[in-house]
Amino acid sequence: MTAFNLANPTDLMLALAPDLLLMLGSMMLLLWAAWRPESDQHQRRVGGMSIILLIAVLVFVLYEGYLGMAATDGVIAVDSFRWLTDVILLLGALGTIALSMDYNVREGITAGESHVLVLLATSGMMLLAAARDLMIVFLGIELMSVAVYILAGMNRRSGRSAEGALKYFLLGAFSTAFLLYGIALVYGATGSTLFSDIGARIVQLGLGGSPLLLIGVALMLVGLAFKVAAVPFHMWAPDVYDGAPTPITAFMAAAVKAAAFATFLRIWFEAFPTINLSWHLPLWWIAVATMVVGNLVALTQKNIKRMLAYSSIAHAGYVLVAIIVGTAAGTWAFLFYLLAYTLATIGAFAVVTAIGETGEKRLSIEDYAGLWSVRPALAIAMAVFMFALLGFPIVGGLGFLAKWFMLKAALQAPAPQTRLAIVLVLTSVISAGYYLYVVMVMFMRPRVAGATAPQPVGRMTASVIAVSAALILLFGLYPNPIVRWTQASGLLVPSTGSVRTIATPLER
Amino acid sequence: MRTLLDSVGYNSWILPALLLIPVLGAIGIWIYQAMIDRDRSEARPADGGANTIRWIALATLLVEFLLSVGLWWSFDASSTAWQAVADRPWIDAWGARFLVGIDGISLMMVLLTTLIMPLAVMGSWTSIRTKIAYYYGLLLILTTGMLGVFVSLDLFLFYVMWEVMLVPMYFIIGIWGGERRLYASIKFFIYTMVGSILMLVAIIYLYVAAGGTSFAYDTILATARFGPTAGLLLFGAFFLAFAVKVPMFPFHTWLPDAHVEAPTAGSVILAGIMLKMGTYGFLRFALPFFPQAALSPAVRNIILALAVIGIVYGALVAMVQPDFKKLVAYSSVSHLGFVMLGIFSMTVQSVQGALMIMINHGISTGALFFLIGMIYERKHSRLIADYGGIARAVPMFAALLTLVSLSSIGLPGTNGFIGEFLVLIGSFKTHPYLTIIATTGVIFAAAYLLWAIQRVLFNKLDKPSNALLTDLNGRELALMAPLVAAIIWMGVYPKPVLDRMEKSAAHFVQLVESRSGRAVATGVDR
Amino acid sequence: MILQSASVVHPLAGSAVEWLWLLPLLPLLGFLINGALSLAPAYRRGPDDPGHDHTSAHGHGHVGDATIHHTGASTDVVAVGGPVHSSAAAHGDDHQVAGGLSDEVRSHDAHHDVAPHDAPAAPHRFAGIASIVGPLVLVLSFLLAVAMFMAMRQASEVRAPYIANYFDWMVTGDLRISAALQLDQLSMVMVLVITGVGALIHIFSVGYMRTDPGYPRYFAYLNLFVFFMLVLVLGANYPVMFVGWEGVGLCSYLLIGFWFSEKANADAGKKAFIVNRIGDFGFLIAMFLLFANLGSLDFVGVAQAAAEIGPNSALITLICLFFFLGCAGKSAQIPLYIWLPDAMAGPTPVSALIHAATMVTAGVYLIARSAFLFSLSPIASLTVALVGAITAIFAATIGLKQWDIKKVLAYSTVSQLGYMFIAVGVGAYVAGVFHLVTHAFFKALLFLGSGSVIYAMHAAYHATHSHEDAQDMRNMGGLGSHMPWTRALMWIATLAIAGIPVFSGFFSKDEILGSVFVRAHGSSLAEATWLGIPGSALLYLIYALGVASALLTAIYMTRMMLYTFHGPNRTGATERDHLREAPWVMTGPLLVLGALSLLGGWLNLPAIFSFLGPVGALDHWLEPVVGESAMRITLGSVPHASHNTELALIGTAVAVAVLGIVIAWMRLKPAALVPKRESPESEGFERVLEHKYFVDEGYDRAIVQPTVGFSRNVLWKGFDSGLIDGLFVNGSAHVARGFGWVGSQLQSGQVGTYAWVLVVGVLMVLGAFTLR
Repeated sequence: MTAFNLANPTDLMLALAPDLLLMLGSMMLLLWAAWRPESDQHQRRVGGMSIILLIAVLVFVLYEGYLGMAATDGVIAVDSFRWLTDVILLLGALGTIALSMDYNVREGITAGESHVLVLLATSGMMLLAAARDLMIVFLGIELMSVAVYILAGMNRRSGRSAEGALKYFLLGAFSTAFLLYGIALVYGATGSTLFSDIGARIVQLGLGGSPLLLIGVALMLVGLAFKVAAVPFHMWAPDVYDGAPTPITAFMAAAVKAAAFATFLRIWFEAFPTINLSWHLPLWWIAVATMVVGNLVALTQKNIKRMLAYSSIAHAGYVLVAIIVGTAAGTWAFLFYLLAYTLATIGAFAVVTAIGETGEKRLSIEDYAGLWSVRPALAIAMAVFMFALLGFPIVGGLGFLAKWFMLKAALQAPAPQTRLAIVLVLTSVISAGYYLYVVMVMFMRPRVAGATAPQPVGRMTASVIAVSAALILLFGLYPNPIVRWTQASGLLVPSTGSVRTIATPLER
Repeated sequence: MRTLLDSVGYNSWILPALLLIPVLGAIGIWIYQAMIDRDRSEARPADGGANTIRWIALATLLVEFLLSVGLWWSFDASSTAWQAVADRPWIDAWGARFLVGIDGISLMMVLLTTLIMPLAVMGSWTSIRTKIAYYYGLLLILTTGMLGVFVSLDLFLFYVMWEVMLVPMYFIIGIWGGERRLYASIKFFIYTMVGSILMLVAIIYLYVAAGGTSFAYDTILATARFGPTAGLLLFGAFFLAFAVKVPMFPFHTWLPDAHVEAPTAGSVILAGIMLKMGTYGFLRFALPFFPQAALSPAVRNIILALAVIGIVYGALVAMVQPDFKKLVAYSSVSHLGFVMLGIFSMTVQSVQGALMIMINHGISTGALFFLIGMIYERKHSRLIADYGGIARAVPMFAALLTLVSLSSIGLPGTNGFIGEFLVLIGSFKTHPYLTIIATTGVIFAAAYLLWAIQRVLFNKLDKPSNALLTDLNGRELALMAPLVAAIIWMGVYPKPVLDRMEKSAAHFVQLVESRSGRAVATGVDR
Repeated sequence: MILQSASVVHPLAGSAVEWLWLLPLLPLLGFLINGALSLAPAYRRGPDDPGHDHTSAHGHGHVGDATIHHTGASTDVVAVGGPVHSSAAAHGDDHQVAGGLSDEVRSHDAHHDVAPHDAPAAPHRFAGIASIVGPLVLVLSFLLAVAMFMAMRQASEVRAPYIANYFDWMVTGDLRISAALQLDQLSMVMVLVITGVGALIHIFSVGYMRTDPGYPRYFAYLNLFVFFMLVLVLGANYPVMFVGWEGVGLCSYLLIGFWFSEKANADAGKKAFIVNRIGDFGFLIAMFLLFANLGSLDFVGVAQAAAEIGPNSALITLICLFFFLGCAGKSAQIPLYIWLPDAMAGPTPVSALIHAATMVTAGVYLIARSAFLFSLSPIASLTVALVGAITAIFAATIGLKQWDIKKVLAYSTVSQLGYMFIAVGVGAYVAGVFHLVTHAFFKALLFLGSGSVIYAMHAAYHATHSHEDAQDMRNMGGLGSHMPWTRALMWIATLAIAGIPVFSGFFSKDEILGSVFVRAHGSSLAEATWLGIPGSALLYLIYALGVASALLTAIYMTRMMLYTFHGPNRTGATERDHLREAPWVMTGPLLVLGALSLLGGWLNLPAIFSFLGPVGALDHWLEPVVGESAMRITLGSVPHASHNTELALIGTAVAVAVLGIVIAWMRLKPAALVPKRESPESEGFERVLEHKYFVDEGYDRAIVQPTVGFSRNVLWKGFDSGLIDGLFVNGSAHVARGFGWVGSQLQSGQVGTYAWVLVVGVLMVLGAFTLR
């Protein structure tokens, strides 16, 4: 097959087909969800339908990825980076909906719309993954955010949920303003919103030093850093993660973050590679601060959701390394890492959902004491996720390989990021402090006297846990397929010409 | 014998088999346990299948041992090449392979491991009574991990094994350990991880430097040429990882806690096998890769000084321990100090001696921990003060404890002497003054161990309950027998062992010395 | 440096010497058998599964089921344990025949029902076999040794040692150490003494230890000791010798602490081992120096290499001094003599064999064996002689004031060892070995004699349930009438050690003093200067010290005999009737030793006594081994004093000996003595002597206590737990948590703060963008 010509509407439609399919499907599901009166089994049915829809889209995406289509330069990217990101996002969404189906029953949330909102958010994310034009980026971000604002407040009975949602909305709006302003300035400086044009014109017009552009870039950086919850723009995350319904927390920690990162990386690689001298330093410091602060603060958390919130901040720091490295290998490591991270996070939150009780109770880490003796399987699965997040080989499966891939990219770059790599490993040692604490509590502490056994785990939750654990372990032993797949996504070949001057490689 | 082994292609499959068998055993145990848990009929064994599980574990490890013994004959002591090499692709996209093989050094470490592990199972027979399936499963996984470290010729595989090993031991200490097991296990884990995490960066750096296509030991060795700064930093990364594991003074403080809190088998494995991985790492990786850095006068002298300090310091601190297990733990610091002295003295004798001590320490200290565990099972105290005069009640135990202690203080005629003598006589050539200080360790060793066994075995039997202690039973004697045999055999006729290691040791010395661009070492036979 | 001599045909090849390997193996066999016997009855099959009730009930869980298994044991503890311990505590060091018994019974034979400790003791189940096996192996190896001796005498002119390589022991790189035995005239003498005297003492032990429940264990240790002692003297290189060297130390440790339920005994054993280890440290360093510089460790190789280096090299002096440190440890010389007196805690036959006849002379043997080294270094040799002389006089003074009969003999041993070191120090190696042999005879006799005395004393006290000290001479007196044989034999030994003519000790001691005097002129020692002091002056000083301590020797030995056998008896009215001669199995060996102490001198008669028999037999016998080295010291000439000088020397020696005996006889009034419990603390210098110059206390305060305290408080509590663990390890963890806490405090939950942080962040990013 030939490449899509995006100037041609039909081709454009085809290139966007999976996203459109998801959007249409979610519209119809929305109507159907609103049609019937709210009830448990209705939200379950809607959930089931959404899962089917997501799977359909997933298949479609995989097919597109398998075809390996290319496309002319345009507002939409048609490359395996997009497809792979889509896969990660869809996996996140699938897990979220599966968890919500059990969760809603427990928390007495009967609105089937919750699932549809997840679908809408997902479509926004897929748009972000595809966007090669700042306007599309904005579109996607808004589509995603608005839905997530509502999801965060989904649990109307919980005050914490509402508070979290409001904070998220306020600060989110605040940061979106930064992003939008940044976009405007960049457009003002370069006269285009198309990544490739921006990249090209910066070179042609020698805009390297133009304050207009740089301030625009800086403001965009702020906006995106907020979305990925990088320090110091992370303050919202713990409260929101804590307050939101657990499945939604998982969604935000995994998918939302992934989507934001995807567009972040694409913009930075396609539009701003040549001015890396300007953004390298702030981004470097943001990454370091994110790794350090995220891990240190996570050490002191007593509540498992807050702990995971900070751990997700820390991981944002690790992922930023890929963007700083700015090589094809970086994008590979980036995708690999996001996949591993998504699986582990969804799995961990699935366990949290399974342990938690009506009214968001039993969220303290102490509640996991002696879990091993009552729910061995659950404890072992949680241990796997913890080791994966810690990045430990074999028992942590993909987690270790992801970290390893990231380090490889950092050290293999023409401008080796040795210092960054060292910060990465040292901070992940700190993370052992809190990940192992969970393991220790589950396996080595006796069950608290008079603690009731956790109620039976819902089928959907159980399957989410099982699937993600299995994937982590299996691909942890034999990662070849994923490695090849990610390495096929080297379509973005950014010109990292001038990076060398910045980092100081170990002299040989 | 060798022809027989070759006829079955022994060398081609033995190492993968050794790595695979324990995993299969563990899976078997877990499956069996699952079946038992399902089983609600009265056919269900009364003990919940505990005994069957013990037997599965023991059988697996005995098979493992018997298979590994073939290496003793199949190994060609006259060659320095890698032997019993097995090479399978793994993560080809990154060039990581499943590449294993042995030389004289790893041969002995492998045999030591396969010897100790079945004994560890026997030693846990009655002392471990909860979650048996998990316990023995972890022991088996641990076996694979440790063997993997000793046979990996691919740095990626090596690092994976190196880290994986931590997890089972972490659980063994944390779940089946003593009172302060939580603190001890987390300390053990993080201490070791801090050490080894920088080695990960260093390994990737080497891999990139080697072209980013292969982790094969020989490839990396061939391409590892660095300037002073880089070499020093990389060596530092490896050094930290191994020094913590050894443990070298002053990175040793995880050891006493881990040793004391771990269950008997855990202490035995820690002391007997895991500590050797640090020194093995120096022999296999740190020194051959970065000779200039390692043998640069400053670094070398610092390390040698730390080793000698460790010898004396460990002995002195051991002397004043009220807890017998802790005493042995600190004595390990002292013994491993000898090993480091031997390795960094860079003469064939000292390196051979270091290797001998690595084996001896595994046997003697392992035996000590077993004995302490046996008496602990009876009295539930590790405090020396709670005993005294029990030689009357348990003469067999007393005889064994005395013999093992004597081997640990290096009495001629026992294995302990061979190692220490070779290390000292070898390092005296290159570092006489340090060696003289180190030799005082011989005196202190006698002081702390004899004092300890006096307070345990001799003096008045003044605690009535101690008069009721029962002497060792058949299982315990059977478990001690091979260790005692090894102590005597390697003390009287160590030649077979030395012969198998000599070429590798000499090759190690020449390799490092030549790469470091200094004169070839003394002590090589000319 | 691989010993070649196995290949060249040796004159002894094909003779009985071929069986050399069997010599040490016989005692080893005895050890194995007796060891098995001692453990066999002890081995009770405990419950298959010692911990079965422990998972729940910790600590006490076991007592429950144990009592079921061993009700016998538990009753012992309750019923017998108490009184036995009190008695054991009250008795002196060496009466353990009962104390040891009842203690032993409680464990080894806990399942037998225990006799109350005043009933006749039940001997060990396997006592019969042990008392055959133990002595038998010794007798056999003695006969074998004699056979070899004959072969050696018939063999024509044996210059080179007979060396047998059995297998490679430590072979790596250029280090080649093989398990090889070597037989030459010197080791032949040693072997004869060890197996001969050893056999006698084994036989004596059959009587002495008969009732001890540790009987097989005792013979196991004793056999093992002989094995190691033979390895020591037969080893063909220093490392193999070192095996025996440390092995005998081990056995001495085990035998001193044989009655280990007395803390004092266990302490003594430990002290002996550790002090010996200090000496072994020197031995090790010496070997390292040899290998690093001479590249060889076997006697033949070292001898050649040393000869090439030549005399007066600092290296060889250093080597010799380190070796001498080893000797000082093993042979109880200043400053390491302190362990020997405590070693008397062991059974008396042990003191006779190990701490008088054989092991403690190993140091002398080492120097004689290494003559080719020491003769090259006058400095080292003078040091040896001087230390020997000082030790001799020092120990003799202490011997003057001891009340414990064995302590007197112990210090006398230290003193006599001093003499031997004087001899080998001044290069009179034959004289040293000569005195070694005669001393083995008379000192073994003295110890065994004291053993019979203690045995009788103990039996007496035992019969009347008295808890008096059976070893304190103040409780003896007048024993001669009850045990005439012992008195007679011990007098022979006393005269011998005092140096009364025709008794063996006279010849050996006289030869030593004489050779010191002679070497004060025209010897490499006389020409050397030691720390600025001319060698000849030093030699005269040594001679003077030697004579002085000869005087003291005569005095304290006479004192011992007087207090023990003469004057009124102080044992006690009732006990007196129970005092009687020991059984013949014990007195028999005494007779043999008595004969030897009397006639031992004939081994090496000086020229002036040629009318008595062949002159200098030992000189000729040992000439191939030490002749050359001795010549080197005396600058190639056979030292020969003029007839008158020699007469003068002998005169002095005899005069001094007689004087000593007379002084003692005149000054000491046995009648004035009172039993121990009534006798007052002595004051002044006497007290200092009685407390051995407070040396032990000094060492304890100056070395032991500080080391332990430092290790515990500074190294362990301070550095290890405090600094490394507390500050760095746990400290870093706390610091991390601290930062985390600070960070979590920012997380106030107020949107306002968040907004502000966000703005600050924006400004920082903008700032960062402006600077490149």
